[in-house]
Amino acid sequence: MSAAPITTQTTVGHADANDRARVRMSVKNLDFYYGQFHGLKKINLSFYDRQVTALIGPSGCGKSTLLRTFNRIYSLYPEQRAEGEIIFDGRNILDPRLDLNELRARIGMVFQKPTPFPMSIYDNVAFGLRLNERLPKSELDDRVEQALRRSALWTEVKDKLKQSGMGLSGGQQQRLCIARTIAQKPEIILFDEPTSALDPISTGKIEELIEQLKSEFTIVIVTHNMQQAARISQFTTFMYLGEVIEFGPTPRIFMSPEQRQTQDYITGRFG
Amino acid sequence: MGDHIVSSYDQDLEGLRRTISEMGGIAEKMMAEATDALVRRDATLARAVIAADKRLDVLQRQIEESAILIIARRQPIAVDLRETVSAIRVSNDLERIGDHAKNIAKRVVAISEETQPQKIVLGVQHMSDLVQEQLKDVLDAYASRNLDAAHDVWERDGAVDALYNSLFRELLTYMMEDPRNISFCTHLLFCAKNVERIGDHTTNVAETIHYLVTGQALDEDRPKDDASNYATVPHEANAQGV
Repeated sequence: MSAAPITTQTTVGHADANDRARVRMSVKNLDFYYGQFHGLKKINLSFYDRQVTALIGPSGCGKSTLLRTFNRIYSLYPEQRAEGEIIFDGRNILDPRLDLNELRARIGMVFQKPTPFPMSIYDNVAFGLRLNERLPKSELDDRVEQALRRSALWTEVKDKLKQSGMGLSGGQQQRLCIARTIAQKPEIILFDEPTSALDPISTGKIEELIEQLKSEFTIVIVTHNMQQAARISQFTTFMYLGEVIEFGPTPRIFMSPEQRQTQDYITGRFG
Repeated sequence: MGDHIVSSYDQDLEGLRRTISEMGGIAEKMMAEATDALVRRDATLARAVIAADKRLDVLQRQIEESAILIIARRQPIAVDLRETVSAIRVSNDLERIGDHAKNIAKRVVAISEETQPQKIVLGVQHMSDLVQEQLKDVLDAYASRNLDAAHDVWERDGAVDALYNSLFRELLTYMMEDPRNISFCTHLLFCAKNVERIGDHTTNVAETIHYLVTGQALDEDRPKDDASNYATVPHEANAQGV
C-alpha cells in the first residue's frame, strides 16, 4: 500500500481525445451527504454525448453514490441530500421542482442484480411505456419488440412473451432490464455494475450490447472490473474517498495515468 | 516498484527484471571478449564468445514466454503493461547484440592467421569501447529507470555513427593501397558494421526506457551521422593511387 498523500483538491483532466464531443450532462460542485457523512466532495465532471464513461474506484469511493444522483434515486431516503448542480438539457437535475417520473424516463438505470418485475416478459418491457405514454396496442407491441431486439433478447424470448420474466436466466434477466430501460427511449443510461452477478458469456453479451447502445445513448457505467472499463468505455473517471482523482480518455488512464493514486489502484497496488 | 496486493505478481515482474539483467551481463561480456579476441587474433576466445550466444537465446525465449504468461494471467495495465512489453523489446535487442558479437567472433576465427599491422584494428577497437560504454550505461539506466541517463545514451549514438563513417573511409584507403589488404579489411569492415549495429540496439533500449518511464514513444529523429551508405571512391583518386 503506497502512502501517497490524498490530494485535497479535485483534479479533473481534460478530455483531449474527444474534445469535440458534445457535453450531455455536467456536474458542478456536487456535494453529497448521508446524514452527517460527506459522501461526495465538490465533484466536477462532464459526460459526453453518445460516449461511454466508466466510474472506477475502490469500494466506498462514491462512484455508486454519484451515479445515484443522476436520476435522484437517492431522494427515496430522507436523510440523503445533494448540493450543487447537475446540468442536463439546460436544467438542474437537483431542482426539487423537477418531475421525477419524467427525469427517470430520460435517464434510465440498470442495477447490479437483475430486477425483473414479477410479471410477463412483455409486461416488464411495457411497464414504463404504460406508465408514461398512452400508446395503442399495435404501437406498444412495436416498441416492446424494438426494445427486445435492441437488447439482443428478442430471438430468445419472442415465443414466450407471456411467460414470467423471473423464469429467465440471470444474463437474460439483465438484458430484459436493459430492454425495459431503453423501451422508454432515454437519453442517458446509468449502469451500476451491470455484470458483476453474471457469468463470463452473459457479461460478454452485455458488453457487446453496451457497445451497440452507445450509438444512440450516453452511457455511464460503474464497474469494479478494470478490464471491463478499459474495454468498453471512452472516458474513465477514477474516484477515491468521495473525490474525483482523475478523469480522461480511457486509453490514457489505463496506459499512463497522471496521478499516482490512479496508477496504484488500476495496477492492483491498493483498493 | 513493487507492492501489488497479489505478491506473486511482483515476483513475476521481478523475474523479468532479473533475466534482463542476466542477459545484459552476458551481452556486455560477449562484446568485450569479441573485441579482445579481434585485437589479439585469439581464436580460442572467439569460440567461447560464439558458444556464449546460446545462453542469450535461451534467456530471450524465457523472457518472451514469461511476459506472454503475465499478459494472459494478470492482464497488466499502465506501468505493469509497459514493463512487460519493455522486457520483450529489450530482450530482443540484447539477443541481437549477442548475434552481432557472435558475428565479430566468427570473423576473428576466419582472420586469426592474418598478420596485418595492428593499427588497422585500433579504429574498430576504439569504436567498440565507445559502444561498450553506452551498452553499460543503458543497462544501468534500465535497471534504475533513469530517464536522463537513457536520453544521454540516445544522444551519444551520433558519435558512433560518425566514427563508423570515418573508419569506413580509412579501411577503403588501406584496400586501395594494397590489394592484399582487401580480405582482412573487408572482415574488419563487417566487424565495424556489427559494432555500429550494436550501438543502434543500445539506442533502441534507450528508447524503450523512455517509453517505460513516460508512457510515450520517443518520436524525435535520432541523431544519425552514418553517411557510409552514400560513400563512394572517387575514380580520379583511384587513378592517382591514393
